Amino acid sequence: MIEYHQVYKTFDVPVLAGVSFRVESGETLAVVGPSGTGKSVLLKTTIGLIVPDRGDVIIDGQSVFSATPDELQAIRRKAGYVFQNAALFDSMNVFENVAYGLPENATKTLGRREVVRRVVRALEDVNLDPAIVLNKLPAELSGGMRKRVGLARAIVGEPQILLYDEPVTGLDPVNAAAVDRLICDIADRTHVTSIVVTHDIEGGLSISDRVALLEGGKLRFLGTPDEFRRSKDPLVRAFADRKAAVEAAMAGSARAGRLAEDKSAALP
Amino acid sequence: MVRAIGGVGVTIARHAGGMGLLASRTMAALFTGQVSLREFLYQLYAMGVQSLPLVLVTAILSGVVTSQQGGYQFTGSIPLYVLGSVVTSSVVLELGPVLTAVVVIGRVGARITAELGTMQVSEQIDALYSLGRDPVKVLAAPRILAGMPAMVLLVGIANLVGVLAGMMAARLTVGLGHATFLYGARLFWHSYDFFYSEMKAWCFGFIIPLISVHMGLLTRGGAEGVGRSTTGSVVFMIIAVLVADALFPPLFLN
Repeated sequence: MIEYHQVYKTFDVPVLAGVSFRVESGETLAVVGPSGTGKSVLLKTTIGLIVPDRGDVIIDGQSVFSATPDELQAIRRKAGYVFQNAALFDSMNVFENVAYGLPENATKTLGRREVVRRVVRALEDVNLDPAIVLNKLPAELSGGMRKRVGLARAIVGEPQILLYDEPVTGLDPVNAAAVDRLICDIADRTHVTSIVVTHDIEGGLSISDRVALLEGGKLRFLGTPDEFRRSKDPLVRAFADRKAAVEAAMAGSARAGRLAEDKSAALP
Repeated sequence: MVRAIGGVGVTIARHAGGMGLLASRTMAALFTGQVSLREFLYQLYAMGVQSLPLVLVTAILSGVVTSQQGGYQFTGSIPLYVLGSVVTSSVVLELGPVLTAVVVIGRVGARITAELGTMQVSEQIDALYSLGRDPVKVLAAPRILAGMPAMVLLVGIANLVGVLAGMMAARLTVGLGHATFLYGARLFWHSYDFFYSEMKAWCFGFIIPLISVHMGLLTRGGAEGVGRSTTGSVVFMIIAVLVADALFPPLFLN
């Protein structure tokens, strides 16, 4: 279980302003909200990649920010983090990148054969063909493949928590749907606790047990996808109904008027 | 004015504190056996062997130029065998260590800052933390620890090659024979000069990667940030090496 207690963080401007909520074990939570509202910062505070000005994050009863360096490393080993741009190590090939997700000295403790087996399995789990990608460098992969390798690196150590920072941003709809499907499959198969920061509302609603909406550094909404869709909150409505949001944003623009006229003229 | 001076003081204190912490964590990693030997040897190769061609060119030219200028000034006024001592002392005490340091700053220091800066802005450093690894042990320590032996070897070679180049240039330009050159070189030679030169090399070999790693890990703000921190790092390293060089004579020669 992950608990956020009154998390505050200010860079040049306040980014998080007292965020508190709880993510239950085995749950998948989608975090949505306008750009620059602190979603990724919140995700990074989860495993101490960013230290908040105030507040704490508790993972399975252990405070992240009161932890000793060794305890913090243990907390981080419980979690797999999928970065927005995959954050693969440029100088390592795919095998080495994914194997890096295993504990230090894995080759000594597990043996080379077991390391290879786990890396191959992780790549297969994210629908990549090990025979094709294993020796490639990150620069030789497409954006979708890089995201999948990043996901394979996050899951190879069999974490209890998976943190996804905009896993489908920059992907075409087909690849985005495939990554969403992977997130669901991994959650179903391993019962891992997942937090997915996303701008893809439809994807986020379809993969999550609950949805959190951050706005202005504060938690504006927390509920199930059905509650999100039925919410009367105007901001939630704007996120839940993209078509309505686009029409509202375009209202009054000359182009929107022309398009409306063209449509009515085309009607029989 | 007071605020500006205070701001500079705070910046210097922040960098000094950051580098002190980095150095202490590097030493802790070394003494607890957490530095990868493979990565250390790779960095030693990248800093030492790959810098060697440029260091040799610089050393040859510095020896030749010193010899030519000394020959021009001494001809007709001072016994020419003194040229052997002047070239040897200039190269060993000053030109060898400082010019090698400048080459290593440009070739290695800038690369380290750009490399780590790019890793920082592309979240690869965060990825290391998220995987339970300490970037100081994985990235910083091998680079900082490899800098010292690499510089000691490079400066030793640069000194030898610079003196030999000066000796050949003396023969070609002022007709000073090798035996006479070596007589002059031995006449004023102190064995301590060699250790002094290598102490400088050891010191510069610590300063250069320490600053370059520190600046790389502080990088923020995309490609522009990488460029900014690389430029800042090179300026910082050159000033630090020249200041350290200026401190050596009062500390170790008097």
